[in-house]
Amino acid sequence: MLNYTNVITEEKSFSGLQMKEIRPVMKLIIRGKKREFLSAVGKSLNLLLPNEANTSSRSENLTAIWLSPDEWMIYSNVTIDSKNNDYETENLLNKSISKKNLGAVTDVTDQFVMINMKGDKIFDLFETGSPFNFNDFRNKKGSVTQTILAKIDVIIHNQNQNEVNLFVRRSFSQHLFSWMNDSASRL
Amino acid sequence: MFIINCPYCGEREQSEFKAGGEAHIIRPKQPTELSDDQWAEYLFMRKNIKGIQFERWVHTHGCRKWFNVVRDTSNDDIKAIYKMGEKPPII
Repeated sequence: MLNYTNVITEEKSFSGLQMKEIRPVMKLIIRGKKREFLSAVGKSLNLLLPNEANTSSRSENLTAIWLSPDEWMIYSNVTIDSKNNDYETENLLNKSISKKNLGAVTDVTDQFVMINMKGDKIFDLFETGSPFNFNDFRNKKGSVTQTILAKIDVIIHNQNQNEVNLFVRRSFSQHLFSWMNDSASRL
Repeated sequence: MFIINCPYCGEREQSEFKAGGEAHIIRPKQPTELSDDQWAEYLFMRKNIKGIQFERWVHTHGCRKWFNVVRDTSNDDIKAIYKMGEKPPII
């Protein structure tokens, strides 16, 4: 882990909405187009990458989310050791993908901040600052979208009924979190 | 404001996209043999018509892929959307 000052230090709670940062969570971005790439990832992680747009797949330890036709994000379902920068999953993928020239593996653990949100007011909050239509999204477990929230790029993963994980770039996270607190207090 | 049907992500709002100007402009094969006027023609001169125009768009805040849009510039009516490398539809 890089030695950074964490910007989201508190857990916020409103009626029908709880928000907190979950850390440290391993996050990797993998890119590739070839058929061999998809099968190599599937084999080494025991996890099939989602082919359909705006969906995700999940194994016991990892979640893979669709970002683009040739780009996926993989993140760990549980928190990892905060003193370690060496991930077994990354090493595995480096060996089976990067070294064989099938695609690219990038560690974005420190780049993205994961905010976990719970409650039945989540989508009411999103509707105040996003142009995305959440009507189908909220009822489909595992759906994923990249969109804008308060003019900030975010990745939103609908993990469960009334529970989403939101990924935002670290430099924007403090501003987004304070915007969300402000907005949530007016719902 | 209008909705664009991204060929990869589905229907999204215009603010997630950026326009990339006129599509299907072919780069001259031998730029060194062109006169300054011809080169300026290729670089800067665009049709900018009122009516049906073929354009490139990119889904910046989504999948970050480029694609082509056929749009009526007078009323923002989108006639067709097709991926890069595909043949433009006849409209």
